[in-house]
Amino acid sequence: MSLGLRGLRSESLLPGTSACPGCPENMAMRMVGMALGKNVAMVVVAGCSSVIQGIGPKNAYGYPVLNIAFAAGPAAASGMWRAFKQRNKDVTVVVWAGDGGTADIGFASLSGAAERNEDFIYLCVDNEAYMNSGGQRSGSTPHGAVTTTTPEGKKENKKELLFIMLDHNVPYVATASVGYPHDLMDKLKRAKEVNGFRYIQILTPDPYGWLFDPSKTAEVGKLAVQTCYWPLIEVMNGKVRVSNESLHCLKKETRRPLKDFLSVQGRYKKLPERDYLELEKFVDDLWERIISMS
Amino acid sequence: MMKIISGNEAVALAVKLARVGVVGIYPITPQTTIIEELAEMRARGEISTDVVRVESEHSAMGVTLGAAVSGVRAFTATSSQGLLYMHEMVWWAAGSRAPIVMVVATRAVGAPWNIWNENTDFMSERDSGWIMAFASSPQEALDLTLQAFRISEDPRVFVPMMVGMDGFILSHTKTNVYIPSQEDVDAFIPPRRQPYVIDPETQESMGNIFQPVHYMKLRQSINDAIADSKDVIREVGREYEKINPLADYKTLNVEYKLEDADYAVVTMGAWSLDAMEAVDRLRERGISVGLYRVRYVRPWAEDEILRALGDKKGVIVFDRATSLGRGGPLYLEVKASLNNPVKGVVAGLGGVSMNKRDFMEAISTSIEEMKRGSFREVTWYYPSEVKEVELGTPRSAI
Repeated sequence: MSLGLRGLRSESLLPGTSACPGCPENMAMRMVGMALGKNVAMVVVAGCSSVIQGIGPKNAYGYPVLNIAFAAGPAAASGMWRAFKQRNKDVTVVVWAGDGGTADIGFASLSGAAERNEDFIYLCVDNEAYMNSGGQRSGSTPHGAVTTTTPEGKKENKKELLFIMLDHNVPYVATASVGYPHDLMDKLKRAKEVNGFRYIQILTPDPYGWLFDPSKTAEVGKLAVQTCYWPLIEVMNGKVRVSNESLHCLKKETRRPLKDFLSVQGRYKKLPERDYLELEKFVDDLWERIISMS
Repeated sequence: MMKIISGNEAVALAVKLARVGVVGIYPITPQTTIIEELAEMRARGEISTDVVRVESEHSAMGVTLGAAVSGVRAFTATSSQGLLYMHEMVWWAAGSRAPIVMVVATRAVGAPWNIWNENTDFMSERDSGWIMAFASSPQEALDLTLQAFRISEDPRVFVPMMVGMDGFILSHTKTNVYIPSQEDVDAFIPPRRQPYVIDPETQESMGNIFQPVHYMKLRQSINDAIADSKDVIREVGREYEKINPLADYKTLNVEYKLEDADYAVVTMGAWSLDAMEAVDRLRERGISVGLYRVRYVRPWAEDEILRALGDKKGVIVFDRATSLGRGGPLYLEVKASLNNPVKGVVAGLGGVSMNKRDFMEAISTSIEEMKRGSFREVTWYYPSEVKEVELGTPRSAI
């Protein structure tokens, strides 16, 4: 099946980045460029993407980037769009952060910027661990996953950023996966048209942290959606819309077994049955909550 | 125009006069009334400054830095725990060589909780790569804040600048302050210029990974810019006298009755005036002493200090801050510049009050010690009314 991406040009990624093979963040960055075009200023907080852009003074991103410490991304973006406003410049400001920068160390400034309804797009590239420092557990690591700091498998569930951000009542919240580029780009384009705080959480399966073959990144990103582990939804002005790719998740009978997603990853190699059931329950609860919102 | 205002009001007025574009604000005692005043000015429509009410001091500097690197004049203010919480971003601003101005209304750092004055918060940032001035009056707080925009935005500098002032003592005390006119300030502070602006048109980027040798070069460039800013500071100081005829900013630091003195006292900030009165009294009693007031901690005016203090029989440095286990930071700085005898006195921490008599006692005792030739390098001075305070002995945990 052709994805039909060939005709689209990405403004965001120049040839020759420092990314690992199969890097999902590179994929997501390319899609951001295809959807948002050139008139973007980006704040990149500490993480893989501070490395992927290469060694300064060169920059492999087609955007002006302010690299900044973990907890300051949303604050810096707040200052940035306000400065552009003062200079009468219409620039889309984008924060790019990992799940660590979003769910954990950067959460206070994220929540503060959301509460103030600051006018920028916040992208959380969620690879479910601190991958840039070698794969330690984060607040966003799911139950049972083996990381370098949870060699026995994580005991707690994934922090549910989607719902936490919805509770901030911001104008636009969405989830996406690098497995479904068109869905992500549609959401980015819609987000661009909205004023105020916009949050998109993109699932970025990491071959080195999740332990799968680097050629399979997109496939794993799809499996996460097909097994309903990762929902593709969008909430605009309080209205929930489930993407076509996730519609089958609304009924439990039509969901693909979660095993199909877990079995392709090394981090779930030795998952005990009770942890599997816990993960299944996590998915059931997730969808129950989404259904209750629609 | 003369007006009776507090140090914090003076700083808010300076921010208004400098036509600052974005202010990131978070309340912390005793800085809070600066940002309240700015919020009031905004509500009254007196300023077009974008006042961003953030959720922490870390974010206050984040907003300020984001705005500054995107091309507008930016300001914030903080104190104590707030400055320490902001510490990471203070370094990030310096490393970005972003012209930013910050005022620190100084206060002790916990634990235990203490809201009173001490300069430790301010002094703990002296390795971070900012130009650092310290005021001794609300007037100087206003003057130095205005000069800070000029200095930090000077093409020979491009380094952020912080202005300290003693919490409560200056931040909340009202005195007569000369306020320059808007026209004069507009002529004094030109529109903002900076070499790097985050903008899709220019595609400039900042802060990504540097090779070790480039990193070191960048650090040296900041070091050199601060060290070389002395001429800019003197130049800006002379220019400032055009908009405030009562001002004297020809030098970084200030001398008082030093020329013919055998002994010198070194101070910084508000208590310098008490110390000056003590010097007057001691001179009446025939003790040959003068005073040197440090106004700039960074750059360190070694040339001025050597000229003023290099020939004294003894130099006594008063610190309202500590580098625990070693003495006061100002003492260490002065000692590093001089070859003659230098003694440090740690005093006035956490709001312990030092009046003229306390200074007279501490200075005359120190001079006696220095005359004898054997003196304790660093002493902790307690005014007579608090000398009795004792803490319990720490108990064993077992």
